[in-house]
Amino acid sequence: MATLQQKIADSFLTKLARAPEVHSEMLTELKELVLSGKKPKVEDFVRVFNLPAGGEIK
Amino acid sequence: MIKLESVHIEEMRGIRKLDTDFHKLTFAICGPNGSGKSGVIDAIEFGLTGQIGRLMGAGTKGLTIGEHAPHVDMVKFPDAALVRLGLYLTDIKQSATLTRKVKAPSKPTIEPATEDVLRILSEVAEHPEITLSRREILRFILVEPSARAEEIQSILKLDQIGQTRSTLGSANNKIQTAYRNAEAASTTAKEALQRHAQITSLRADELLEAVNKRRQTLQLEALDTLTPDTQLDSGLDAEKRLNGANKKTSLKDLESLLLETQTPDELAAAEASKAVSIIEQLQSNPALFAALQRLSFLERGLELADTPQCPLCDSSFDSVEALAAHLRAKLEKSKDAQRAQRTLSESGAAVGRAAVKLATLVNTALASCDAQGELALIPSFNIWRDDLESFRASLSSVDGIVAACTRLSQGWPSIPPTFHAELKAVTAKIHAKPDQTALFEAQTFLTIAQERLTAYREAMRRQKVAKAAADAAKVSYDTYCAVTDEELNNLYDEVQEDFSRFYRIVNGDDEGGFTAKLTPTEGKLGFDVNFYDRGLFPPAAYHSEGHQDGMGVCLYLALMKRLFGERFTFALLDDVVMSVDVDHRHAFCKLLKTEFPDTQFVITTHDRLWAEQMKAAGLVQGKSLLFFHSWSVDTGPMVESNTEIWDEIEGALEKGKVEVASAALRRHLEYVSRGLANDLAAPIPFRADGNYELGDLLPNVLGKFKKLLGEAANAAQSWGNAAQHQAVLARRDEFAVRMAATKVEEWAVNKAVHFNAWANFGKKDFQPVVAAYKELLESFRCKGCDTWLHITPRNNPEVLRCVCGAVSLTLRTKAK
Repeated sequence: MATLQQKIADSFLTKLARAPEVHSEMLTELKELVLSGKKPKVEDFVRVFNLPAGGEIK
Repeated sequence: MIKLESVHIEEMRGIRKLDTDFHKLTFAICGPNGSGKSGVIDAIEFGLTGQIGRLMGAGTKGLTIGEHAPHVDMVKFPDAALVRLGLYLTDIKQSATLTRKVKAPSKPTIEPATEDVLRILSEVAEHPEITLSRREILRFILVEPSARAEEIQSILKLDQIGQTRSTLGSANNKIQTAYRNAEAASTTAKEALQRHAQITSLRADELLEAVNKRRQTLQLEALDTLTPDTQLDSGLDAEKRLNGANKKTSLKDLESLLLETQTPDELAAAEASKAVSIIEQLQSNPALFAALQRLSFLERGLELADTPQCPLCDSSFDSVEALAAHLRAKLEKSKDAQRAQRTLSESGAAVGRAAVKLATLVNTALASCDAQGELALIPSFNIWRDDLESFRASLSSVDGIVAACTRLSQGWPSIPPTFHAELKAVTAKIHAKPDQTALFEAQTFLTIAQERLTAYREAMRRQKVAKAAADAAKVSYDTYCAVTDEELNNLYDEVQEDFSRFYRIVNGDDEGGFTAKLTPTEGKLGFDVNFYDRGLFPPAAYHSEGHQDGMGVCLYLALMKRLFGERFTFALLDDVVMSVDVDHRHAFCKLLKTEFPDTQFVITTHDRLWAEQMKAAGLVQGKSLLFFHSWSVDTGPMVESNTEIWDEIEGALEKGKVEVASAALRRHLEYVSRGLANDLAAPIPFRADGNYELGDLLPNVLGKFKKLLGEAANAAQSWGNAAQHQAVLARRDEFAVRMAATKVEEWAVNKAVHFNAWANFGKKDFQPVVAAYKELLESFRCKGCDTWLHITPRNNPEVLRCVCGAVSLTLRTKAK
């Protein structure tokens, strides 16, 4: 991944980690979406933001 | 990342076969137009990236690598077209070989195929911007701000950042809409419970008071508190849980529906008007309307694009990124259409929520009528409810909203004409029914209260979940936007600073105070430059074409430095300073040497003077300078060199082509004479056009060399160095013999004739001429290191020598 993209992704995730609205499960999934190098889709983000705190019941 | 050690090209573009050592040094390739210089660039670019920039982009429709990368005579044999690059990977300090064939451009053969080597070469392949041509310079300088933003964002690979931002934004919008819908559903459920309980506010104590009144009637224990687990109808056994037949509740439900239809929802009405207004604007502006209709199409295409084939029309692009950039460029072009789309979507969602509320009330009234046994209205209520739900669904797309324009302008609820009369009649009928017994009323009250409380609790739960998602989505989107804007602003500040400094290095003589300003705004990148302290203007406003070319290269270098930092170790510059004048080119050499000392540039030019200027400035060395003197379809570029030329001449003579051999000899002698004239400081009569011919050069070079040998002999004698003196005399005598053999002084009488007269020679006559000149040139070379003799220092020569020092003849005589 190009340096600037990596820098933006890192800064974005660091700030989000301090946001009370974003719980740890969301953060983990968001990391996967923005750092994978693949193109995330709208549905991917919608799913992540609808994740319940504590994770989904499996 | 990499440096180029060697290149082997076969049957690529205009090149049949070419082997060149680049020595990891900055390299210049010079030749007239059409001599194959850019073919070398194309081949190197293809080797590194699998692409050829000249076959892509504007004006190249129909050109493909498969058909147009191989030599024109080898199109049917793409396997024969290949490039082999010897590379030095600076990150890991290791060499590697990369071979790429036209037949399989995405599958190069790499040796050694270690993880590190593959990773680095894969990264290089993602950066076709290592090649800069004049066509690309124009992309930065002479374009609209919105296009410039795209070009620079493309070169810096920022388009993925924009894509992520856009995707996050769309997700945020969807989630915010879902939250507003959940909020509306929660309000509707709350109103239904309030209406049933006949309380003004949904406070626990008020609800419990109403509930306990009925519980007392049924001799059930009163409820003290309302907790999430409280069942309002607890204690009622299954037989007594009666649905929907509570007369008061039914009347309230019908009354509520009547009120809703008689008192229009002002907010929804305003949004409907707004939507109608936008639609009318679109209908009066066909171009805008068409752009709006294409928007959804393009957005969908962008979502679906995960291969280089367009999912909409199957057109092939060179990469997924190229397809995505193409679609985003089309999307960007219609900001007005995007604004219209946004307004329509928001208004449609608002009206949709009002339609949901009305449909819910109709449904509730339906249930009440059913429970009361009043079935006449049910079919029309069902139809109307279905119509409202269908209408709401249509408002989820722009096309649906546009199609609903008439309904939006004429009263979207579309209340059936007989509705009010029929509703009043049913209401009267229910009124007329005998009051329910207190027991019956209490039972139905508690049953319905519990149902509506359950529904309200579920709606509240969904609203809470939706709010959590909406809060997370908003903060994520806002954070991403803030981070991106900050980083981009920093990036543009740095690029602007470097660009200005580079330009001042090149143009410091007349624009020492030059500054520039890159101004990013939404989707655009403004680019203004200082014009002699008169203010900031677009580059094309007052600066010359040459200055704009210089700006393009400086901006490119600033961007590459920003993109790669210390890893910017290689770039191909294809004739990018053609409009820059001589003085500024010298400064350009200084820029490359001082600001990019560790970067290997491969520079092409058609201007021999510029090539020699690069050598004089120390940007390139003799061994990193390649001259093409001509090109033909059969041979490809013809290289000027001291070693291969004799094979070329011999080959031509073998075929009886004396005119070809003589032309080659003449060109080679001109090539060598130019270098020797410089190295020996030979007195050449000045020509303003710089087009020195062999007759201008060679006789004067020979004369100067003879003079230098004389000086060397005198010097040796003055120092009492008998051995050196004898050696120099022998060298001088040998030189005289060789010179005589070429008869150059005889032919100098008629300069216009003598070299051309070679073409009239037969093979047997010309072979001795070739041999004589070959031998003559050996007088100027060191047998050990094979370099040309030169004087040093240039202004006040003291020595005539070679590079290795095996030949070192003192020119300074001993002071008496």
